[in-house]
Order: sequence, then C-alpha cells, then structure tokens
Amino acid sequence: MTTTETRTDRRTRHTSGTRHRRAALWFLLPFAVPFVAFYVLPVVYAFAQSLQRISRGGGSYGKATSVWAGLFQYDRALHDPDFVASLVRVAWFSLIQIPVMLLVALVLALLLDTQTARLRRFHRLAIFVPYAIPGVIAALMWAYLYDPRLSPLTQAMSTIGLDPDFLSPSHILWSIANVVTWTYAGYNMVVMYAALQAIPTELYEAAAVDGAGELRIALQIKVPLIKPALVLTAVFSIIGTLQLFTEPQVLRTITTSITSTYTPNMAAFNAASANDYSYAAALSLILAAVSFVFSFGLLRRTTRGEQA
Amino acid sequence: MNAPEHARRQEGTTSRFVTPAAVNVVLLIATLYFLLPVFWLLVASTKSRTDLVSSFGFWFANPQLIENLRALFAEQDHVFVQWMLNSVIYSGGGALLGTVLSATAGYALAVYAFRGRELVFGLILGSVLVPATALALPTFLLFAQLGLTNSYWSVLLPSIVSPFGVYLCRVYTTAAVPRELIEAARVDGAGELRIFLTIASRLISPALVTVFLFQFVGIWNNFYLPLIMLQDDRLYPVTLGLFSWQSQLSRDPQLLILIVVGSMVSVVPLIMTFLSLQRYWRAGLSAGSVRA
Amino acid sequence: MSQTRGRSRTRTVGLAASALAVATLATACASAGSTDAGSATAASTASAPACAPSTGKVTLTFWNWGTGMDKVVNLWNSQNPNIQVDLKTVPSGNAGTYQNLFNGLKAGTAPDLAPVEYDTLSSFRLVDGLQDISGCAGVADAKSKFVPWTWQQVQMGGSGVYGVPQDIGPLALYYRKDIFDKNGLAAPTTWDEYYQDAKKLKAADPKSYISFFSQADPNWFTGLLWQNTPTLFSNDAGTWKVSIDTDQTRKVADYWQKMLDENLVAKDLQGFSEALNKAWDNGSVLTWISAPWGWSTIRDGAPSTSGKWAVAPIPQWDASAPSNGNWGGSTVAVLSGGKHPYEAAQFALWLNSDPQAVSMLIKETGIYPAATTDSTDPFLSAPVPFYGGQKIFDVFAQAATQVNPDFVWGPTMTDTYRFMSDGVAKTLAGSQTLSQTLTDTEKKTKDAITAQGITVAP
Repeated sequence: MTTTETRTDRRTRHTSGTRHRRAALWFLLPFAVPFVAFYVLPVVYAFAQSLQRISRGGGSYGKATSVWAGLFQYDRALHDPDFVASLVRVAWFSLIQIPVMLLVALVLALLLDTQTARLRRFHRLAIFVPYAIPGVIAALMWAYLYDPRLSPLTQAMSTIGLDPDFLSPSHILWSIANVVTWTYAGYNMVVMYAALQAIPTELYEAAAVDGAGELRIALQIKVPLIKPALVLTAVFSIIGTLQLFTEPQVLRTITTSITSTYTPNMAAFNAASANDYSYAAALSLILAAVSFVFSFGLLRRTTRGEQA
Repeated sequence: MNAPEHARRQEGTTSRFVTPAAVNVVLLIATLYFLLPVFWLLVASTKSRTDLVSSFGFWFANPQLIENLRALFAEQDHVFVQWMLNSVIYSGGGALLGTVLSATAGYALAVYAFRGRELVFGLILGSVLVPATALALPTFLLFAQLGLTNSYWSVLLPSIVSPFGVYLCRVYTTAAVPRELIEAARVDGAGELRIFLTIASRLISPALVTVFLFQFVGIWNNFYLPLIMLQDDRLYPVTLGLFSWQSQLSRDPQLLILIVVGSMVSVVPLIMTFLSLQRYWRAGLSAGSVRA
Repeated sequence: MSQTRGRSRTRTVGLAASALAVATLATACASAGSTDAGSATAASTASAPACAPSTGKVTLTFWNWGTGMDKVVNLWNSQNPNIQVDLKTVPSGNAGTYQNLFNGLKAGTAPDLAPVEYDTLSSFRLVDGLQDISGCAGVADAKSKFVPWTWQQVQMGGSGVYGVPQDIGPLALYYRKDIFDKNGLAAPTTWDEYYQDAKKLKAADPKSYISFFSQADPNWFTGLLWQNTPTLFSNDAGTWKVSIDTDQTRKVADYWQKMLDENLVAKDLQGFSEALNKAWDNGSVLTWISAPWGWSTIRDGAPSTSGKWAVAPIPQWDASAPSNGNWGGSTVAVLSGGKHPYEAAQFALWLNSDPQAVSMLIKETGIYPAATTDSTDPFLSAPVPFYGGQKIFDVFAQAATQVNPDFVWGPTMTDTYRFMSDGVAKTLAGSQTLSQTLTDTEKKTKDAITAQGITVAP
C-alpha cells in the first residue's frame, strides 16, 4: 500500500502482454469464484433485503410477502434510539480501547525486540496464546473472573481492601474492553514484532554507535519504520471493534448491565431473530458503512501524512 | 538480528529508562496478565464441580484431571472426539485451501498489471468490513437452495475465502519476489505457473505459513457459520459442541466441568500448531527481513 | 426434559444461551424465506383442513431434546407397526433446537413433529411453520383430556389446533422452610405477607434476600403478570390489542419495585446461573417463585440444602379469589412440510393423553403433564425427599386449576420478551422503574407487530 509499489507496477504494464493478462486471470479465478459466492452475493442479497418490508395479507397469520420499501428500514434505524445509542457506544469504546490495546502491543513488541529481553520466545508465545482461544471460551473464562460471587480475582483483591465491581453498569464497558484487549493484543504484537524484525539492523546500528539509547532508537527509528504495520493493525481493530458481539453476548449471561441492543451487531442479530430480516440487513449495512468511513478515514489521514 | 554485540551492549548501558531490569519486569507482568486466565482454566479443569464453585480459583483443590478427562471423552458416545476431529477437518482443510487461493490471488495482484486491478484489490479489502452476521444469513439461504446445508461442505467452502490472506500475500510478494528474477525465468522460457510454483511460492513461503496459521485459528474460532449451517451434532466443530453443552447447562449442571475440561483440551491443538510452526515462521521472518 | 422446556425462553431471549444465541438466526432465515413460500394453510380459515390417513407404512421423524423420550417412543413403535416414529434427540438445547427447526422449515428438512412452547407457537405460525390438525380424527375429542387453558392456547384464538399440549408450569412458592421456621414464619399466603416476611428475614440476616429478580427470565415476570391479569394480548378480527401496561400489571410492577427499592430481592442474580446455585447453597436466597419443573433445578443446583425446602401455593393478591400464572411448558406440534399430518397427529395425541404414555413421560422425562388424566400418577403422588418428604406435586395440581384461562400470547413474543428483559436491566440498574418498563415494552411491542405487517390497535 505504498507509492513505490505503484511505480513498479506502471513499469510492468508496458512489458506485459495478453499472455500475462490471461495468467493473471487463471491465478485469480480460484479465489474469485468462492469470493463472489460467499462475499459478494450475500452482500447483494442483504442489500436487496434491506430495501423491503413485510406485508401480510389475510389476518395476523396471513401470508407474508416482501414489498418494496425504499429507504424505509434505513430511516427506521436512524430513528431507533437504541440502535443509535449502540453506535455511539461502540464508537466511544473504539476510541479508548483500540489506542490502549495497540499501545500495549507496541510496547511489548518493542521490548521483545530489545537485546536485553530474556525468555523472548516464551514471552512472545505467552502473550499470543489468548488469540488462539476461541472468543466464546475466552468470554466465559473472564465471566468467571468477573462474577463477584465466584471470582478468585475479587476474592484476592478483597484481601487487600479492594472491592471492584467489574459488572456494574458504569464499569461493564471497560470490562468488555479488557476481554477484547486480552484476546487481541498478542495478535497485534506479533504483527508489529514481525515488522520490527524486518527492519535491517544497519539502520539503527549507526544510531547506537552515535550513543542513542534504546528508547530513542525505538521512538525515532523503529516506530516510524513500522508505521504501515501500525496502520494495518489499527484498521483491523476498528473493523473488529465495531462488530463487537461475542464478548458482550456471553457476559450478558451473568450481568444485567448489558441490554440486547448493547452493540449494533447485537441489535442486528436480534432484529433477525424477530423475523425482521430487512431491518437486520439495513442495520448490518449501516454498520459496514460506518466501519468503512472510520477505517478509510484513518487510511486517508495516515497516507496524507506520509506524503507531506 | 545480527547486530554486533558491542553495539547492543552499549545501547543497554546508555539508556536511562530501558534498563534490562525494567524490560524484563514489564514483560513478566504482561505475561502474567495474559496467562492468568489460562492458568485459571488449567486449574479449573482439574476440579470437581463443587470445588469449582467453592474453592479458590487460582489454586488446585482435590485434583481429578484424569477423572474429568475420562468423563469428557465418554460423554455421549465419545462425541467430543468427533467434534475435535471435525474442527481439525474444517480448520486444516479450510486453511490449506484458503492459503493456496490467497497465494495465487495475492501473487496475481502483485505481479501482473491489468486494468481494474486496484478495483479488485479494493473490493477484496473492503469485504473485510461487512459484519459476519450480514454475511452468514444470506449465505445460509444460498446454501439451502443448493441443498448443501448441514454438511461438511457448508462450513468448509465459505471458510476458504480469506481477504486478509490475499492482502498479506500481495504485500509479501511485492516485497520478497524480485521482478528481475521473474523476468530472468521468463527469458529462460519458464511458464507463468512454473515460475509461481518453483520460484515465487518458495520465496513467499513465510507469508504462506502466516496466512495458514491465522486462517486456521480464524476457522477454529468461527462460531456463527457452523451454528447456522449445521443441524447434526456429529458435524459440529468443537466450539459449537461446547456451546451446545453450555446451553444445556441449566438442565444438567454436571456438564459444567465437561465444558471447562473440554475448553482446555480444545485449546491445545491451536497452541501446538502455533508452536510447531514457530520455526518456519521465525526462519521466514529473518529471510523476509533480508529481502525487505 | 420439562425443566429445560419450561425455561427455554430464557435462553432464547437472553442469556444463558444467547451466549451464542440463536434461536434466531434461524428465524431470520425462515422469515426471509417465507416471502417466497406462501401456502394455503397460512390464513386462518373457518373450515378445518382435510386430514386423511396415508396408505401403507409411514415413518415419522420427531426431534426432541432431553433424555427418556426414547422409551415412550419405543412403546408406540411396538404397538403401531405401520406408523413408526424415528426419534432424534437434539442435544443442542432449546435455543439451538428452535434454530434448527426454523432452518429446517426453510430448507425443507424439518421433522414431522417437534416440541414447541406455548409462547413460541405464534413465532412458528408467523413463518407458516405449523399444520392445523383440527381436521384430523380424534383431535376435536381430545380437548377434554387437557387442562382447559392449555387447549385454549393451542387453538390460538381461532378454531384451528396447532399443537398438542404436553406439559405446563403453574407457579408456586419454593421456600427455605428451615429458615422460615427458625424465624417463626409460616409460608406467606398473600403478597403483602410475602413482603412483611421479606422484611423480617432481612432483619434477621441482613445478607439474605427473600428472592432475586432475574433479568434473564422475562417469561418468569410474565407469569407473575399473568397471575393478576386476564391476558396481555387480544386479537379481534385480525387487529391486535396490547395490554401490557394496565392498572393490573402496574400493581404487580409497583409491588416488585418496592421490593427492589427496599433491597429485599437480589438484583445481581440471573436464573439458572452458578452464582444463583451458590446463593441457594449458602442460604442467601430464600425463596423461588417457580414452576413444577423447577424442583430438580434447586435439587441439582444446591444439593447441600436437601431436606430444607418446601413448596407452598403462590401468594395471592386477593386471598378470596385465588388466581395463578404459568411459566413454561410446551406442546408437540406437527410442522409444515410433513406429508403425514394424520399419523403425526395420532402420535402426538397418544403421547400426551394416553394414560400409559403420560405416566411414562412423567417418569422417564420428568415433565409435569398438561393432560388431566394423571392426578393419581404414582410418581406425582410420591413424597419428594429433597423437599423433606413433602408431596410437592399436589401443590402444583391445585395451582394448575387456578391459572387464568384466557391468556393469549402476542404474535412477536421473542421481541416482547427482549424489550421486557432490556427494561428490567435498566430497572435493576436504577435508571427506570418497573412500570416504565411496562410502558416501554408495550410501545415497542406495538412497533414490532407493525413491522411484521400486522395490524395493531393504537
């Protein structure tokens, strides 16, 4: 996703003929077919659904037909206070949780990249392990650690005079943030660490010889060099966070602080569960649009910074 | 990481904040945070149901792991073994196929210039934005029309698409496969497929391992798709199987311990996969860093 | 098993299960599908659809959850060589079962027979998932064999029959007799006494609660409302009327609001959770207003309290005119798409009303039957050791006769339960009152019904 790449491409275009175009087609086809079938078609289908509403003839249990409704479902969504609140909630959540998680991941990646770190393999694996744990199981585990009546965590903390309530309405969002951070920080750390490892050491050997400390090398040389990795992790985090579902849904089983429309995805899921499929499709697509605006907004901003 | 030792040592001493002690203490705290819940799972899986609720969660009480494991594998005619096997089929098969498709597509997007290339790439990247719930339902309906629901295919086929894999393979190919090498091979008369198979695929193998690994984990953890597609519990992957127990928990509280032990056991293959691929991954990374 | 059945709504709506929730996705699919799958049985008509026997040997598929059903089915199969029932035990819990059923209806792979709860019948009918079996031989005559209000429910306000009642969940009061005794209290007979007892028990042990208010169980709260209102919905010539927010329901809501405000019921416990089991186990929650299937829930959840519990009739609003509500219970429904409605109806009737079959159901699956034939069932008339040897099912037999008979379920109960559950969450967090929850639930329910293309009175 860089400018140098495009320059190379332009050069290639002059030398490539129809033979290469045909080869490209054959290489792309095996991916393109399932991609169209399982990504493009369903989205088109969902979009068509979102422009309809149910009409029923012949009494309460009459035959249901879908009729054209234009933007009716979208209008409904934007006037649904619960849905709007859920959007605001995840936006707020993203604004806090993503920077914290990425900072944790970056610091850990930088620390692992120092020569002074011991047991690097062990640490790297340990930090990555949560990513390998299915979201449902991770959420269930944390549910145990949060439940004030069962948690060894609160038990241990109460012995030193602390009495945290992880599940109260004012804390629950951050308890969810903790589960998400715990699960994905390691993944992001690995991506960043990989980028760090790819930096040719000569680039900072000189700085080291000049007497720059590890901190300065990290901030002034390493971090700018892995900016693409940082942008990448940020974009994927935004997408993932806006789609927040499993963690709050599982934690709902043990707390009253989470409503059924707590996140936009939960709202869509519940609309679907209530036979309101057109509405569910509209909610999902609005969410996709918001993800698009956020992540591309970030990409635009960071690329502009690069050019400047 | 072949910096001269003296340079490194110098860094360590000249830094005021990043002392070796500080580095290691921070790492240790982080590791503790990330491992504590896993440790809890480990401890919990050795307990009886009564001890699970009443004894201190971070330490053992009357361990009976073997007994729990035996109960786990015996439950419902060894269904857990079947679930694990299914997960391996879905994740292994899906990741393998997905990696191949990502590799060819990413390679094509990196190496060949054709009209609409950036559009295609943008479309693939953009597809990551669509929420899983929005995709899963229509996909089910499409499969229902083909009569393919409730089969291995219904979970396996949609799993082989990995937009992120394509992205990674394209970026990696651009960085790791020198254009001159391709041109040279062409001059030698090699066909495009042969160039890909004998030259490019080897150069991008670290990316392939990475794609495989994350695809594997992604499919293993995927919950919606099998949930919607499968009706026969013998086809369930292990996550869905454990969920089905979880949903019966209020009828049969004894299942709690099986869920805990099952969760623990189900996590093992993932960690094993990651561990066993570490060597390739690391080797690949240093190879990549030389090229970059 | 009946215990599960009774509370399956719990799972669909909220919590436990919704971890992965679900019942739902399926519904979505079914609804999307219903657009192109119109059928003649959809509109309720005055005349019952024809229901003729098939010729030759017939094999019916029957999905069920829980254990023990196989024995009853085997009995039927040995007696009816030409109508064989192929039982498939669906292990994924109720939420999963409904999901699979909706999926199956859409994909044309649904079984002939499946359990459907009373409050879920309408969801199935909205996607045209149920066959009207009123035209099948023997169905009309079976009416007298069931507790009257259950038949009302399977008729769904019309003349059709959309399921055969299997079990019911009339409410009663499970209470810690030892602790009540210790404090010199008898089982409360009115809600006011219950409130007074709550205060006394709190004074005796400030850490204890007389009960808990579970956000995860809107169908439980609905049962409490049911006790004090004839119905929450009515349907007049295709136009629905919603009566969730009335003087009668507000009386119930205000009462529980008072209990919450005075900290007499726990606000942080969900039904069917390990935390609740622990609270029962250590005596910090002292009663549970629940259905007959709840007897094993306490027994399995808090085994150490064996012998300390007893069951009393539910407290009354007006002791001179006892009334009751119901929580859970299900029907066996004949699903659309099946080719043998006659045979399926015969099996469903036999399963749920034949004395021998019902007796086996009680013994093997643990249900509390909707059939009236078995008041002398050996299992139901036996003393239960966990409850100090009390014959607890006598209490429920009495309770079943007091359930308000004209109760009608709305067409979108999944939604209504969800709105109620969300409202209760806000109530427990202190941001609104229970009556506001009722107002809110009524308004949102009307919107949801409208969204289904159904007419609703303003």
